[in-house]
Amino acid sequence: MLRLEDICLNLGHFQLRDIRLHVEAGTYLALLGSTGTGKTVLLETIAGMHTPRSGRIYIRGQDATRLAPEKRRLGIVYQDSALFPHLTVFSNIAFGLRLKGCPGGEIKKAVEDMAAFLEIEPLLKRRPNRLSGGERQRVALARALVIKPYVLLLDEPLSALDRALRRRVQNELKRIHEELGVTIIHITHDVAEAFLLSDRLAVMKGGRILQEGAPDEVCNRPASRSVAELTGIENLIEARVENGRLATSMGYADFWPLAAEAGDLPARVYLTLPGWSIELFPAGKPKEYIWRGTLTVRDVRPGNGTGIVELTLGHEGGELLRTHLSRREAQALSASLNRGTSVPVGLLAQGAHWVPHETPR
Amino acid sequence: MKSFRIVIAALGGVLILVIVAPLAKVIVSSAPSLLRSTACDPEVLHSIFLTLRAALWATLGCLLLGVPLAYALARWDFPGGSLVQGIVDLPVMIPHTAAGVALLMVYGREFWVGKAFALVGITFTGTVAGISLAMAFVSLPFLVNAARDGFLAVDPRLECVARTLGASPWQTFFKVSLLLSWRSILSGATLMWARGIAEFGAVVMLTYHPMVAPILIWERFENFGLRYATPVSAILILLCLVIFSGLRWLAAQKEDR
Repeated sequence: MLRLEDICLNLGHFQLRDIRLHVEAGTYLALLGSTGTGKTVLLETIAGMHTPRSGRIYIRGQDATRLAPEKRRLGIVYQDSALFPHLTVFSNIAFGLRLKGCPGGEIKKAVEDMAAFLEIEPLLKRRPNRLSGGERQRVALARALVIKPYVLLLDEPLSALDRALRRRVQNELKRIHEELGVTIIHITHDVAEAFLLSDRLAVMKGGRILQEGAPDEVCNRPASRSVAELTGIENLIEARVENGRLATSMGYADFWPLAAEAGDLPARVYLTLPGWSIELFPAGKPKEYIWRGTLTVRDVRPGNGTGIVELTLGHEGGELLRTHLSRREAQALSASLNRGTSVPVGLLAQGAHWVPHETPR
Repeated sequence: MKSFRIVIAALGGVLILVIVAPLAKVIVSSAPSLLRSTACDPEVLHSIFLTLRAALWATLGCLLLGVPLAYALARWDFPGGSLVQGIVDLPVMIPHTAAGVALLMVYGREFWVGKAFALVGITFTGTVAGISLAMAFVSLPFLVNAARDGFLAVDPRLECVARTLGASPWQTFFKVSLLLSWRSILSGATLMWARGIAEFGAVVMLTYHPMVAPILIWERFENFGLRYATPVSAILILLCLVIFSGLRWLAAQKEDR
């Protein structure tokens, strides 16, 4: 559906460098990255607002690199909705259809159908300044979807919404994707949102796409320290490769789970461990763990209202590990988790991965 | 807090008095009978309508040329953009009689530009075209700057959305950018027209006759004294107040929401 080949662009302070991306039809791709990393510039370049210095953009197999935005048939939804303030909701949604010269009756039906789909029929006569944040986003979605875009581009559409509204619009986006089958590229800096919605995940930093793949794969097998940090992996442990084992400040970790990748293993690495791979009171077979030992509870945060208990565990060598448990799991443990308590811990091989110590970019 | 408000209000009030007092004095100083007879004086009427008409032509011409320039200044990041902005502001900074001299040198009959216009029947000395040109020259910054600010206030992402929805650059300009900035443009056009009506220095260098209202006031003051200049001034001030209050009201109207 959409293919970007080696896109480079300079735009003021922003740069896009060697962007390669292939988005299959019907994919929900989340583009994850921190603020100022060039995500919006990339989205606007796909939309045709900026012409790349080099590289090609293909939409449905056609070279669209220099195609005018109005000929690309892509829908875009911004963080603040960007509704036309001088038009009613109906006219906002009908904007694209009117430009196409569709007959009035056809426009009315298409707008009403889309409004019914997104449950915004009562809003059609209102002006944008009379809408709530969630309503504005649904109108913006309706406006973009009614032209039946090849790709729907979402630029942090949920960032300006409160938690309850965000959840509602997230559900809306899932439903749109499932029922309309539209290809979506969704920019976000929220890892949880990216995991919840997407079936592909691209991580971006400094104008480059660092890694792209299935969300689980990117999260559990980060290609670099930056990806590990951006995808929210809680623990990065510095390690050296010594005689087939990983030497860390916590002692040696068994190397075998990483053996498949050992051919490329550099001398110094970071061991990446998501919070879920830290098991308290390990009860599995020894081979399921790369390291077992005793750690001391350094901090317990009850995570008010979330039902999640956040734990910081410390090793006498100075290493701190972070994990989380549900409140029920925490209560079911044989020991109470108070500061200073020593607990047996196992690091699950299943979650362990390594990234090079020196990340080139 | 209260003393702060009193001081601020008092200082602002002094400035308002400085503006209002002379204008009010001009209006109340003219006897009603003299005002009536002046208002029926064909020379005065002709002069006032000529002034309004010439300023209107100047404003319309600058709308045609100045609004695109304002859009370019607001939206495009091009080399020399600051220089262009400086050039737009230049007429505000130079003495208007000097501006009149400069215009006379370029658009007068001695220079090739003036000669070229003369070949197609347009001359700028002693004509309405000359009056409009002088008015436009000195007052165009008001229109261009207001329009530029209006375009700057339009979120560029609205234009981006319009393009993705199928609008060409022209359609985006007319259906989004222009519609969202019309109040600023109208406000700038009003200011420009007002400034044009008030112009004396540049106009007098190019065109003494036919006589615009400020020149007529000057001439009556020179030949007959303050008593005869005052009623013409009062009529011009009243007329301007009515017209510009109306235009301001129109620009300030909120859309029916």
